[in-house]
Amino acid sequence: MIKAKNINKSFGELEVLRDVSFDVQQGEVISIIGPSGSGKSTLLRSLIGLEEINSGKLFIEGISVKKSGKKAYEKMGMVFQGFNLFPHKTVMGNLIEAPIVVKGETKGEAKKRAEELLNKVGLTDKKDSYPAQLSGGQKQRVAIARALAMEPDIMLFDEPTSSLDPELVGEVLTVIRGLADENITMMIVTHEMGFAKDVSDRVFFMDHGKIISDTVPEKIFVNPESERIQNFLTKILSQN
Amino acid sequence: MFDYILNVSGYVLEGSLVTFQLYLVTAIFSVILGVLGALGKISKIPLLESILSFYTWVFRGTPLLLQLFFAYYGLPVLGITLEPFPAAALTFIVNYGAYFTEIFRGGIESIGDGQYEAAKVLGMNYRQTMSRIIIPQTVKRVLPATSNEAINLVKDSALVAVIGLGDLLRAAKVAVTRDFSIIPFIIAAVFYLIISSVIVTVFRKLEEKYSVYE
Ligand SMILES: Nc1ncnc2c1ncn2[C@@H]1O[C@H](COP(=O)(O)OP(=O)(O)O)[C@@H](O)[C@H]1O
Ligand SMILES: [Mg+2]
Repeated sequence: MIKAKNINKSFGELEVLRDVSFDVQQGEVISIIGPSGSGKSTLLRSLIGLEEINSGKLFIEGISVKKSGKKAYEKMGMVFQGFNLFPHKTVMGNLIEAPIVVKGETKGEAKKRAEELLNKVGLTDKKDSYPAQLSGGQKQRVAIARALAMEPDIMLFDEPTSSLDPELVGEVLTVIRGLADENITMMIVTHEMGFAKDVSDRVFFMDHGKIISDTVPEKIFVNPESERIQNFLTKILSQN
Repeated sequence: MFDYILNVSGYVLEGSLVTFQLYLVTAIFSVILGVLGALGKISKIPLLESILSFYTWVFRGTPLLLQLFFAYYGLPVLGITLEPFPAAALTFIVNYGAYFTEIFRGGIESIGDGQYEAAKVLGMNYRQTMSRIIIPQTVKRVLPATSNEAINLVKDSALVAVIGLGDLLRAAKVAVTRDFSIIPFIIAAVFYLIISSVIVTVFRKLEEKYSVYE
């Protein structure tokens, strides 16, 4: 599904991704954890073409990102920490924009699927609201529905609950959990360790631009292999 | 007395026809020029950016009256002779286009990267992103500044009287000289106030319309 081989990414002198390699299979849910600045966002952003990698190979569903450019990204959706909803469009407008403009769907088709998705994220009654009228949790659920409206095979989440008030985190995690049960391939950067433990098939631990651990959640949370990871987990867990 | 006011009003109204035409032509084309200029300025094409910076520097940094004289009295020296109306329209379009270029550029640049990124990951290309996501949001943000320019334009349009264009102000002045009465000027002032008020109202309605979000 996703295959990364020795990818490197620098911002000027700063090496942010260093020889990162991994494979993700169809339907797998991967959580990416690690300290701030370790390159988690940059990794996701490189996968979907928001950042250009400096070297290495990246294949999405067997298509080389370098060779095909945009085509490789078509099957991916992304959800940002800051939602990035279109403020001038209603919830419905946010959901149908890309299916109509990019995929050339009719308004009717796009609306029909949008209704289903809003039902799925529990926001049917908000379809005519503007983003400014929603809570953070509702915004993020709209953002998830908007990404799903393009029918991606792979969903990337970059700290989807980090800018939410604690009481709103649960509703967003519930929606993501629902997707995990639907066999969508997902990569989720998160600081919600309990969630990561439940939902993931594998957990990547990133530090200084490298994936220093790629293992099943039981292993990393119950019996972390390095002191670095142990310290990180202790720190995170004491914050929550 | 009443008859006189009515009579002069009719005369001034005729003059204001020219003012309206100039206003309309300038409003339409300077806004188009401003959008194109703003897109050019953010294009990251160095040559285009330099040319546009030079353009806005010159036209915002010199008096509109000088530009008007240049178009009407100056260009003939170079062998280009324009009638008063085309000379005035050209000057106003290019001058206001420079202001709108800067206003719209500022508006576009005030939209965060997140909007571009969201559009990109949804598969939208540059043209779709600009026309459907960025520019509509920019419209709301530039409305107040645009409204100011729209009112300035009403007042600036009176400058064309100096190149002999028979606009609202010139009509009033002719009547003042002819009748040795101050009333035509007062009527002209009332006309300008009415036009400005209509424009202010239109923009207020637009701002209300756009205030449904945010
Ligand atoms: N556009 C950028 N320009 C320069 N430096 C950047 C940019 N984006 C990220 N960085 C730097 O790259 C490093 C990794 O960032 P990031 O991938 O956001 O880490 P994480 O998501 O794990 O916190 C940080 O040091 C950050 O400051
Ligand atoms: Mg990050």
